[in-house]
Amino acid sequence: MDRIQLPERPDWRAKAAELGFTFADMHGEPYWDETSAYAFTLEEVEGRIEDPCTELHAMCREAVGTVLADEALMERMGLPRLRWDFIKDSWEAGEPEVYGRFDLAYDGKGPAKMLEYNADTPTSLYESASFQWLWYEDQLAARVLAEGSDQFNRLHEALVERFAEIFPPDTDLHFAAMSGAPEDYATVETMAWAAREAGMGAHYTDLEKIGISDEGQFTDAEDRVIGTLFKLYPWEDLFADEFSAHLASAQCRFIEPPWKALVSNKAILPVLWQLFPGHPNLLPSFFADDTKGLADAAHLMLAGHVTKPIFSREGASVTITAQGRVLERATNRDYDRHPMIVQAYQPLPVMGGMRPVIGAWVVGETCVGMGLREDRALITQDLSRFKPHFIEG
Amino acid sequence: MKRSRAVSLGILGAAAFGLAACQTEEQTDAAAFSDEQSCVAAAAQSGWFTREDCAATFAEAKAVHEETAPRYESQALCEEEHGAGACGGDPAAASGGGGGSIFMPLLAGYLIGQALGGGRAMAQPVVPKAGGGFATPTGGTQLSRLNSTGKMGTTAFAKGPTTAGQPPMSRAAVASRGGFGGSAATRSVGS
Repeated sequence: MDRIQLPERPDWRAKAAELGFTFADMHGEPYWDETSAYAFTLEEVEGRIEDPCTELHAMCREAVGTVLADEALMERMGLPRLRWDFIKDSWEAGEPEVYGRFDLAYDGKGPAKMLEYNADTPTSLYESASFQWLWYEDQLAARVLAEGSDQFNRLHEALVERFAEIFPPDTDLHFAAMSGAPEDYATVETMAWAAREAGMGAHYTDLEKIGISDEGQFTDAEDRVIGTLFKLYPWEDLFADEFSAHLASAQCRFIEPPWKALVSNKAILPVLWQLFPGHPNLLPSFFADDTKGLADAAHLMLAGHVTKPIFSREGASVTITAQGRVLERATNRDYDRHPMIVQAYQPLPVMGGMRPVIGAWVVGETCVGMGLREDRALITQDLSRFKPHFIEG
Repeated sequence: MKRSRAVSLGILGAAAFGLAACQTEEQTDAAAFSDEQSCVAAAAQSGWFTREDCAATFAEAKAVHEETAPRYESQALCEEEHGAGACGGDPAAASGGGGGSIFMPLLAGYLIGQALGGGRAMAQPVVPKAGGGFATPTGGTQLSRLNSTGKMGTTAFAKGPTTAGQPPMSRAAVASRGGFGGSAATRSVGS
């Protein structure tokens, strides 16, 4: 793994504007940054990222079964007891997952370490699957990148195949995001295009415009009944919303399925460590109130530890501590009220003054691509930059 | 190769994304008539429907209208949607002797469409809209005028729902809206 300076495509901003990639700059800072890119070898991608993440996904599935069978662990998930059956039913019915993104700490030397699994509402799908792909094809055509190089990015094709696999042709699917967030919308539309390419009827509705019919079914902004809903909105928030009582009875299928509420939940991290202690791609993790577990594992946390809420987005409410000193504390504390877990601190590598996190995408049950974000700070937050990657030829 | 051979590149935005779906819909020859006689008069010039098709589709449109036209609990509510003088009592409710009054828009005309791949011509009733124009019972297809011909998406001929047990994508009476989204912690909820 290397961070390499490359010439930018002279027209990339015009292309981004033309394609509707409106958030290529965010908060007055570049979000898409192609002044440099990350280079990997094929062996590295396959052996350190792809295969381990497919295995990590299978481990997460196993952990879901374990949690659902253990009431004490279910309590740890911080989800309302009223919805437990709804979650369990979706798992027992084998409702299929579509996508997720592992965030990995990887320094090019040791094994990649799973920081967390965004298994419910991962974003940056457009820039990973589409704009990054275009960057690669343009740079290949411009001979900035060599013939024989490649990119780990089968994301779009894999999504098309996944939709075709799990839904009959012409199934009507609704795609919903909160209005007013272009980066969320881009992920949803990218997903919807893949569904359309797979022969589905794909319809968009703002999440806030969803209604409930007299028969108790969800309806879109145009009063059409929703049979299947892709919602870029976390399960734990759906469970807290006014319509939550209708979730189980609305005759609606959801993407991601309800059981993903257990996987995107950081309370899964201590469960994984219990099930697979010492696994090379896992970081030692414990519930914050597990004083004995933490005391016994002190020797595993010599580099420090990270405290994370079980629900959190974009690094909010995360604190990194080493040698009894706070190294960094996220300024956004929106998630402070949630139960916490403690994870061994795995410092991100520093490359060109930046700290990259690898986002490894899983579609269905297989790792199919990746994208990177980098940040100057220790905690990757919403000001991080998206970086393209390539595989050296 | 570890990358896609092709991807979809653009983000259209919510409104345009919805329209893009309509453009991919199959189109067929269609005509709108106010009654059977207008249809018969046009049949001679048409390459694809006959006088017999006019009769059969008009009869079908009448039956479908009775089955799928939107129902309202008052004449006033019905006229709000369909215009003054455009509504009448529901004949099925009257004969059933249920006691309560149900109102529905009158049949204003019908659509006839060429079946893709051959077969019987397709039929769909149209009802008036308040403020002018016409629509299919679901409201899914709207027309500015009758006695016209052109290309139309085949879904215009899909039969609307009757009442209970509604399948996905049928139109439903919406009791309330806005019950999702209240728990979002930050502007962007993805991760």
